[in-house]
Amino acid sequence: MSTAGAQVAARTYRVGVDIGGTFTDIVFLAEDGRLLTRKISSSVDNYALAIVEGLRELFEAHGLVGADVEVLRHGTTVGSNAILEHKGALTGLICSEGFRDILEIRNLRRPHLYNIVWNKPQPLVERYLRLPVNERVTVDGTVEIPLDLVQVEQVVDRMLAEGVESIAVCLKNSYINPAHEQAIKRVIEARAPGLPNCISYDVLPEIKEYERTSTTAVNAYILPIVKRYLETLRSSLDASGINARLLLMQSNGGLITDADAAKMPVNIVESGPAGGVVGAQALAKKLGLNQIVTFDMGGTTAKASIVEDGEVSRATEYSVGGGIMIGSRLLTGSGYLLRVPAIDLAEVGAGGGSIVRVDAGGAIRVGPDSAGAFPGPVCYGKGGAEPTITDCNVVLGYINPQFLVQGELALDAAKSREAVAQKVAAPLGLSPEHAAYAAFRIAGSNMMRAIRAVSVERGRDVRGFSLFAFGGNGPLFGADLAASLGMKLVVVPPSAGLFSSFGLLYADVEHHYSRTFRRVLSSDGVADINTAWDKLIVHGRAQLQAEGFPPERIRIRKFADMHYKGQSYELAVPAPDAPLDGTTVPVLEETFAKEYERTYGHRSPASIPIEMVNIKVIALGLPEKSLVPERLHDVRAAVAAPPPRQVYFGPALGWMLTPILRRAALALKTGGPLIVEDYDSTCVVPPGATAELDGYGNILIRL
Amino acid sequence: MNAPTPADPSVTTRDPIAFELFKNSVAAIADEMAVTVHRTSYTSVVKNNMDFSTAFADCDGVIVAQGLTLSGHLGAIPVALQSVMKCFEGDIHPGDVFAMNDPFEGGMHLPDIFVFAPIFIEGKRLAFACTIAHHTDVGGRVPGSSAADSTEIFQEGIRIPPIKLYDRGVKNATFFRIFEANVRVPDKVVGDLTAQLSACYVAEKQFIELVERYGASTVAFFMKEINIYAERVTRAAIENLPDGEWSFEDWIDDDGVDRDKPIRLFVTVRKHGDEMEVDYTGSSPQVRGAINSTYSYSCGSAWTAVRAILPQDIPNAEGASRPIKVIAPEGTIANVIMPGACAARAMTGFRMTDATFGALAQMLPDNGMTASDGGNTNVSIGGYYRNRKPFIYVDFTCGSWGARAFDDGHDGLSHIKGNMASHAVEVIEAEYPIQFLAYEFVPDRFGPGKYRGGAPYRRDYKFLEAEAVLSVRADRKRFPAFGLYGGQPGQPSENVLNPGTAQEEPLTGKFSRQIKRNDVFRTMLAGGGGWGDPLERDPLRVLRDVRNELLSDALARSQYGVVIDRQAASVGAWSVDEQGTHALRETMRLARGAGPLPFVTRNWPADFDGTDIRAIEAAAK
Repeated sequence: MSTAGAQVAARTYRVGVDIGGTFTDIVFLAEDGRLLTRKISSSVDNYALAIVEGLRELFEAHGLVGADVEVLRHGTTVGSNAILEHKGALTGLICSEGFRDILEIRNLRRPHLYNIVWNKPQPLVERYLRLPVNERVTVDGTVEIPLDLVQVEQVVDRMLAEGVESIAVCLKNSYINPAHEQAIKRVIEARAPGLPNCISYDVLPEIKEYERTSTTAVNAYILPIVKRYLETLRSSLDASGINARLLLMQSNGGLITDADAAKMPVNIVESGPAGGVVGAQALAKKLGLNQIVTFDMGGTTAKASIVEDGEVSRATEYSVGGGIMIGSRLLTGSGYLLRVPAIDLAEVGAGGGSIVRVDAGGAIRVGPDSAGAFPGPVCYGKGGAEPTITDCNVVLGYINPQFLVQGELALDAAKSREAVAQKVAAPLGLSPEHAAYAAFRIAGSNMMRAIRAVSVERGRDVRGFSLFAFGGNGPLFGADLAASLGMKLVVVPPSAGLFSSFGLLYADVEHHYSRTFRRVLSSDGVADINTAWDKLIVHGRAQLQAEGFPPERIRIRKFADMHYKGQSYELAVPAPDAPLDGTTVPVLEETFAKEYERTYGHRSPASIPIEMVNIKVIALGLPEKSLVPERLHDVRAAVAAPPPRQVYFGPALGWMLTPILRRAALALKTGGPLIVEDYDSTCVVPPGATAELDGYGNILIRL
Repeated sequence: MNAPTPADPSVTTRDPIAFELFKNSVAAIADEMAVTVHRTSYTSVVKNNMDFSTAFADCDGVIVAQGLTLSGHLGAIPVALQSVMKCFEGDIHPGDVFAMNDPFEGGMHLPDIFVFAPIFIEGKRLAFACTIAHHTDVGGRVPGSSAADSTEIFQEGIRIPPIKLYDRGVKNATFFRIFEANVRVPDKVVGDLTAQLSACYVAEKQFIELVERYGASTVAFFMKEINIYAERVTRAAIENLPDGEWSFEDWIDDDGVDRDKPIRLFVTVRKHGDEMEVDYTGSSPQVRGAINSTYSYSCGSAWTAVRAILPQDIPNAEGASRPIKVIAPEGTIANVIMPGACAARAMTGFRMTDATFGALAQMLPDNGMTASDGGNTNVSIGGYYRNRKPFIYVDFTCGSWGARAFDDGHDGLSHIKGNMASHAVEVIEAEYPIQFLAYEFVPDRFGPGKYRGGAPYRRDYKFLEAEAVLSVRADRKRFPAFGLYGGQPGQPSENVLNPGTAQEEPLTGKFSRQIKRNDVFRTMLAGGGGWGDPLERDPLRVLRDVRNELLSDALARSQYGVVIDRQAASVGAWSVDEQGTHALRETMRLARGAGPLPFVTRNWPADFDGTDIRAIEAAAK
């Protein structure tokens, strides 16, 4: 496997590849801004096939060869799909005697108040493969009951007899003393050389047994799958003459090498949506926008995140699966918990495929159920009978039935109108367009909850933010959402419909490390923390250097998870570069208090001390030069714009004859209403707003 | 915007967009309040157990949204808020913040302190932010203030009638001084009160934004409309249920004071048209111990059970409970009067929900659930470190569900009436002089059925300081969780001190006692009851339980008539012996004879024949 920062012969293209459940998006970007894109159906049985196929098609169309690819950056849902579809490895979990069911008991919480139908997600490791070993480590790390290696061998052998393909180890209090876990790892490697395995201390050396167990189990569960996938991809690329480095997007927005991803796949589970946020972050920096909300809407979900002062916002944990909900920041008990840093995304089940209906109380409901890719919206003509948001958008004239994916997918507008009329408009006594408009706005209100969750609910006044709208449906809703939220500027980036893969091209190589140090800080008694912090830094530097980054292109950042003593929820704050001492401790404490006040509206009295919980290090490998070219130009052959059409903008404005443009036509500032039809997305500019193209190819909509 | 009158039922259809937008926004405020309490609180019971609730009410104190918190609290918040409003009528001003905990003025039990903040805009009161949190200590005779064996309210801690915590922005320092002097860990308790205040602050900030967006009169109108809407959808759902009247009874072991004297819960559900009545008449008179429920809490019990069998998309607003009338005669276990003790009333409330499911199951043979583990078990350990600094560990835990009419009961999930989270064992060990020796499922204890009850777990706590008071409230030791429609009861709960040692000592369900260094206390939940004929259980489900060591091979045969082929060396390759199972089930069916299976199976104690009912009824008259 290759390295990340090594000098290589001059090549032309950086390539981003993002795999989703339905589509694989490929973007080629040359240093001069030349942009080639391709959207193809994913090959679900072997995702690597579609990638290689797509690359080959682009090569042929543009006369390129494998050597023209400088680096391949990749976002993939292979990990999350394995979890969601329960297609991970048969996994064993070794735990402490008396604590066999931590993984299954979880945190006891339910995600709904009165729902008795909801079921807990099946544990990724069944009870008969969760086997305890007799050992006990106390809260201060003292070994109270030593590990019995003979018993460990028996347990490992029993698992092997069951045919496990991977083993996770998570013992109580191992975050403070990993000796027993390390000893078990040695036994596993002796009994079953080459068997994928991981211990919790290596995955997440932090306090809280359920979070640590769940994260370790997920890592073990997807380990063989991700490893196999990356090896297949690598060999397929090699076979196609593409020898470029392969870098994987992590959930946290940074890149790692394919070798590292194969070792710690838990870091790339939310790889998919991260690319768009990182891309928006890079573009925002170029445009001089300090505060942005990213809004990524596809077929089934909409996701929001914020970038402030150039920093993406990161969550310390999140759940995979188990339904999509805004309240997910409130320990809900849904899904599979992963405590790894991830870009903090709020997600709602609102996409083009969301089903629209009228409930018993006479209210319009949108989602969370979705028609998905099959049968899909009614207008796809594949048997879907329930009207969806896409059908509403067809009725409203926002979507051109002849031009989705440049006409590759023809839609039946009459069917959309009939379904909306029958199922939504008739029960409410509204016209079909009014009903469709109502559904459009309600879908928007669901999506606003996602945006508010990452902004207003964290004490950020969203009115000062700009909205980056992308994904297949993002640019269609962006202006309306921004107007509702009091935002003034919407940015629709180039290739908005495949911006998740485009964004990959802007990411840096990045590694995160953490350790638990639970302690009230004072200027003395921090020597061991400084030592531990230094150790993490040395580790980070070594890893980046091994990947080919010279020292001057390595950037180290320190963070601390802190809370007021007695609290259980921490805020992560940046820590001073210098070691902790009489000067830096108060600085760190003040940083925490400020962030606390900003989030919760008050500080605690000085009598309540501030406690450190975890120390963290982020090691960044910086590129030689800026990754964003001065300007971008899509080399796709221009297709003539269709004639103006009637578009509905609500009961007050009614139907309006609306010009349909190609992006390039916006070089001059133009007033709405207008619709910009791109290859991969449709952008609606409502009446009263203006739109223009900036030097980077973004559409700027001003409200 | 048009301004139709709130009584107009077609308003949501006339402007469905704005209404839906608004409904989402208000729900988000209540959730955000919950996030704030969770993240800024200090004591384990609030921050880890999540024993708190948040809600948002209109200008008249009618709840329009509840956060994702505890179901049982929704019934109590309106009663408490009305009590405060009545008390301070004409004296509610901007900058005021109210508090109360008195069960005899609308509260639930003393540890539950309500904090209400009216929200004014341009001098006009538009809303109330509401929070309630279970405080880790409010004084009284035992640490944690939750003893089941207190006999009057005056033993249970400091009573706070409706008061102002802040009067027009000025802190009520007198109250705080008195309060701090009467609770065991004042800095933490006041820290949690501050978390409640923060939640109100967050709510106010977001609400003001809503008003800026919609205008004050529209906001006021929509808040009324949410409840009209909630009531309308609830009535529509109730209308679809069969009319009739169904009764059910269950018994609580005892009140912890009059040992082994069982306490009756009796409930009658009446359904007519689009209304329902849940009537607890026939339940025992109020008892000496502290498990008496308040009327407000009993309402929450009834509403929780009914809401669970109704469609899930009804908003969590007060209007949803309007068509469901709750009757609980004064002076009974379901409606305590002065000076009855009620600190440990949660258990009774959880059990009232279970009993109500028993009545509803007769109305709807394919909806609802059987009895769960008996209400949450409370474990409080309080004492002093060597330096005389106090510590109090309070935990409420419940985890084995009754089987559902359509699926097994959950193993390790909070009861439908509560939604407590579990403490992280490692954090407890880091913060308290307690070591956990075990926290895991116990096999062979769930009630068999076509759908089985939830597996109970045990927890073993080892105490590491010199001495402390251990206070426990558990139940279903004598009266296990009932099974329905041929489903069998679960196994009872158990408490024991120093299990497996020479000093082993069985314990009752409810007690307060001294413990010393290195004592190990084990509590084991009751198993959930089963639903439906165990002989109809899918043999693959039985196989899964056997393979997972939650069910022994012997019980797989004797309870379910399932024979497992365990020849394969690998447990994963075990299979159902189809022929053996078929033959065994036939034999078992013949042996039990024809005739329908009983609706309810209870396993009451051998010495109990239920005749106390008449004595209770006589006493009630």
